Amino acid sequence: MALELRINGTSYEIEAPVGQTLAETLRGPLGLTGTKIACGEGHCGACTVQLDGVPVLSCITLVHTVGEREVTTIEGLHDHPLVDAFVRADALQCGFCTPGQIVSAAALVEAEPAPTPERIRHAMAGNLCRCGTYPRIEEAIQTWRD
Amino acid sequence: MARLIRTEKEVEGRYTEQWVVVEEDAAIDQWPAGPRQTVGQPAPRVDGPERARGQAIFTADVALPGMLHAAVLRSPFARARVKQLDLSRARESKWVLGVIGPDDCHVLTSEPGFHGAPVAAVAAADPRRAREALALIDVEWEELEPLLDPEEAVRRKELHEDPRRYERGDVDAAFATADVVVEAEYRTQTVLHNSLETHQSVCRWEGDTLEVYISTQWIWGVRDDVAEALDLPKDRIRVICNYMGGGFGAKNGAHDQTFIAIALASQTGRPVRCALTRREENLATGNRNATIQRVRAGARSDGTLVALEGEFVNAVGWKGWSGPTYGPMEMLYGCENVRTLTYGAKLNLPPNAAFRAPGFVEGTFGLECLLDELAAQLELDPLELRTRNHADNDLVDGRPYSSKNLLECYRRAEPHWARRDEVRARSDGAWRRGVGLASQIWYGGGGPPSYAWVRVGGDGNAMVITAMQDIGTGTRTAMAQIAAEELGLPLERVRVSLGDSSRGPYASISAGSSTTPSMGPAVRSAAADAARQIVEIAAQRYHLEERVLSLRDGRVVSADGGSWPLEEVTGLLEDGQILGKGARGPNPTGMQVLTFGIQVADVAVDIETGEIRVERIAAIHDVGRVINPLGAQSQVEGGIIQGVGHTLSEERLVDPATGFVLTQSLDAYKLPTIADVPEIVVDLIDIPDEHLTNLGSKGLGEPPIVPTAAAIVNAIRDATGADVRSLPVSREEMLRALAEAREREKARGAPAAV
Amino acid sequence: MELRQPSSLEELNGASNNLLLAGGTDLVPLLRDGLVEAEVLVDIRAVVPRGIDGTKIGAGTTLAELEGDPEIPAVLREACALAASPQLRSMGTIGGNLLQATRCWYWRLDFPCFLHGGSRCHAREGAHREHAIFGNERCASAHPSDPAAALVALGARIRTSRRELGVDELYRLPTEDDRDVTALEPGEVILELDVPQPEASTYLKAMDRARWAFPLVGVAAARSADGVRLALAGVAPIPWRIESEADLDKATPLPGTAYKVELARPLIRRALEAVG
Repeated sequence: MALELRINGTSYEIEAPVGQTLAETLRGPLGLTGTKIACGEGHCGACTVQLDGVPVLSCITLVHTVGEREVTTIEGLHDHPLVDAFVRADALQCGFCTPGQIVSAAALVEAEPAPTPERIRHAMAGNLCRCGTYPRIEEAIQTWRD
Repeated sequence: MARLIRTEKEVEGRYTEQWVVVEEDAAIDQWPAGPRQTVGQPAPRVDGPERARGQAIFTADVALPGMLHAAVLRSPFARARVKQLDLSRARESKWVLGVIGPDDCHVLTSEPGFHGAPVAAVAAADPRRAREALALIDVEWEELEPLLDPEEAVRRKELHEDPRRYERGDVDAAFATADVVVEAEYRTQTVLHNSLETHQSVCRWEGDTLEVYISTQWIWGVRDDVAEALDLPKDRIRVICNYMGGGFGAKNGAHDQTFIAIALASQTGRPVRCALTRREENLATGNRNATIQRVRAGARSDGTLVALEGEFVNAVGWKGWSGPTYGPMEMLYGCENVRTLTYGAKLNLPPNAAFRAPGFVEGTFGLECLLDELAAQLELDPLELRTRNHADNDLVDGRPYSSKNLLECYRRAEPHWARRDEVRARSDGAWRRGVGLASQIWYGGGGPPSYAWVRVGGDGNAMVITAMQDIGTGTRTAMAQIAAEELGLPLERVRVSLGDSSRGPYASISAGSSTTPSMGPAVRSAAADAARQIVEIAAQRYHLEERVLSLRDGRVVSADGGSWPLEEVTGLLEDGQILGKGARGPNPTGMQVLTFGIQVADVAVDIETGEIRVERIAAIHDVGRVINPLGAQSQVEGGIIQGVGHTLSEERLVDPATGFVLTQSLDAYKLPTIADVPEIVVDLIDIPDEHLTNLGSKGLGEPPIVPTAAAIVNAIRDATGADVRSLPVSREEMLRALAEAREREKARGAPAAV
Repeated sequence: MELRQPSSLEELNGASNNLLLAGGTDLVPLLRDGLVEAEVLVDIRAVVPRGIDGTKIGAGTTLAELEGDPEIPAVLREACALAASPQLRSMGTIGGNLLQATRCWYWRLDFPCFLHGGSRCHAREGAHREHAIFGNERCASAHPSDPAAALVALGARIRTSRRELGVDELYRLPTEDDRDVTALEPGEVILELDVPQPEASTYLKAMDRARWAFPLVGVAAARSADGVRLALAGVAPIPWRIESEADLDKATPLPGTAYKVELARPLIRRALEAVG
């Protein structure tokens, strides 16, 4: 079933069977492998992308339901100041969860440029990091505009 | 000059003796203690931007032309026999290109011993088609009675190896002289590694060379595993891991998925990816096994430990190894009389695997909680009790420590420990607060063989080349810092090439806190070799003596004040390059190389609901010289956060009747989130180990997780008086312990504290 | 599988082997795992109202939208804020949340259990620390929805494509004849909720980590002119109403869930204190 997707400001026309997820589409035919799949069932946040600015789990989003919503992936946040903030604060270790963390964080700071630690903990609780970079992530989000 | 030596090699407490050729230049002295131009300065990781931007290509992202996807049929039974395996329907499917069973691949089994054991596999062009094709494999199972209880396994002598017995001194006599004896049974649960990148490999034959892309902690271990199992020449196997999404001990070898991918690649002539799903990851790739620890301590009234005794049952699973749960009891304190007995129970449960300080995390929980029970009986300050029993020499074999600053750790812990009255006073209503501490001992010395090359081009920029891997610990950055320091270059002029066994020399495993102490000295040695050659060239070009020249700030500097940009000297070569090579020297003979530390935890417990909040952990560790304080802080925080999960929320559960694993997904298996993290204060002693290599650095990956559980549980006891003896401290365990404490107080007729 | 995206309610009616998809947070994983099957997937987002208008809440409103709206009663706002993870709250709708399946691992791992139509509950004899203390004779699964308990406590009502009913009437314990835990008929769609404003309300939740976990025990309390209504999450196969703390004495805990009774006591007391 053919569909059109708008991703990071560019339109793509793709063919996908019903049931295929947005994450599979991004990583497979579109080659946008910055979006990671770590659980594949909506529990860990590694696959987080934004739909019209709202962070969602692309591994449980059926690609045919995306519709006209703009998809923002980590590739679309290439020059976002959060990237530098994460590196400065050492907010990544293995880096497998990091793209998802940054996509979530970008939506947060868009809504609240100076979130409190409590807000950060509330808004980032769906992005699991097994390396344990959480204190650094909190710092990166607090210092993203520096 | 090449030197052939016989040396002892330790990985995670397991020792082997081996011959190694080392070329470390004996003339390289350690740098003086303290931060230097680059080494010892906080450095953001050099590969941070590509990892953060999602540009780093992990094994998960490797897509080769024509690549197929494997799916694995796994045993749904903890113990079974495959009476009949019919692969024909799968073979006939138009979507399936490859099908293998136990006859085709040695990791596939027809007698599965745990839920999740691999039995057969298929390959298809699309991962979904591959998964669906598993339904076409017809299996007739004979389900057998599983053995799941570790105590029962000990009774039945179903063990992985003979029971391990250790004794020093006269334990029975010593207990008889003790003024106070405490004993208790502690239990720890099975926990799962859950690195976010699951176990996966992509394998392809290129001519007679086998390429293995794999998420691994040791590309050379993968090469050796594959060579041995398939009887291939080692140099026909190329192993690649440029970026790696976490391992924590579970990715030290080739693992089943590699052999499945190879077998299917051989059968189909196509590249094959075998990537485990999260659920498979939590079935079949290892775990920190559960333990039962019956421990006893005897002391004189002044707090001197006279005897320690422990019986440890490791619930190893179907395969794996019986870890050193006994280690802390034998090594941590200066106690003359120690006896341990350790069983490794063979059960119909998934195999264990090394997990960040295996054995010591579990054993430290039992020992360090017991020490606090002892301190309470003695009415002695827990920190004082530990200080009094400090071991000045290793008592296991009498060797001196290469360096030990544990007393300095204790001293620096005092201000954190001294806050306890203030912390307790902040108890409010049902919320009770308290402080606990626990001490830490672990390995972390690294060792040879490990090699590195340093290449300096005409532009004066350097490239460190070594076939190691950066599993996320920041070793790529640390190696760049070491080379930059030695070459007098700013960090941005040094790059690191790693992760490919065909494109660099043999390198250490990234496990056992060994990457930095193994690789760092080799890198420094290679950089020093390159620097020496640059000085020789400059001396000839500028008609100066070599001894007056040195490299600093990107320049060749003469003692008489003259200086030249490095690229002016190396530029003489145009496209020629200076190639330095280095090797890791041996560890100091006759010495124990160990890491030490202490953590102090503040907790708050709601004594009505059993909710536990870890509010603060101060971590003081002695790991020798610190290369990158920023990355080191992250390592400590990461270890503690895994420790918090181990203590409070993580537990693999199985169906008690069948051994079927129930917590396969990450809603059921609860890793800590950002909201579960305490304030963490990190304090590293940062004194180089003067006997250890040209750096004096030890490893840091594992020490921070070792004492966390005991520190938290001791703080819980301090806050509530409740004896928690089992991990995780779930609501039910906390409420049980609180109720027990209330009963105890009532029985004593004392006013209830809780 | 076929996907339909109707733009009007009329187009919804049709074959019974349709699966209705809104946020997809529960349904997409269940489809993947083969726990539900469908020839036709119907994306109902265009036909289900979304948004808040006084006491009316469109069933397509996401938990994140409810969490952030100060006009929403505290018990529902707090239940939404403590539910699931931020991304799941951004995707999941309140209508879908009420219909989510249990987290019982035996059910999720496709054991042939009572809820799946089998003859016995594997959790009762097995590992069940997250399971039920009420209504658990045949099936010990626990209802995972925090907002459902909040809505029951509030006495909220539901308008579906066919009728109106109280949220408490939406749920029923599974029986020999019908293993479903809701009274919704095939093809019936929740369209709107009517959520009365209480005088005071609160939601208290005990879970295994500080965020992103299903309730071990959730206590919803709402005070209106008629008095205080209490409802619990995570303690029975459906949201469970109780009159007072004393009702905990009627609990039928399993060996591994007895702690939930003790855990519920202080939470109920605190919730009652909070709503006055």
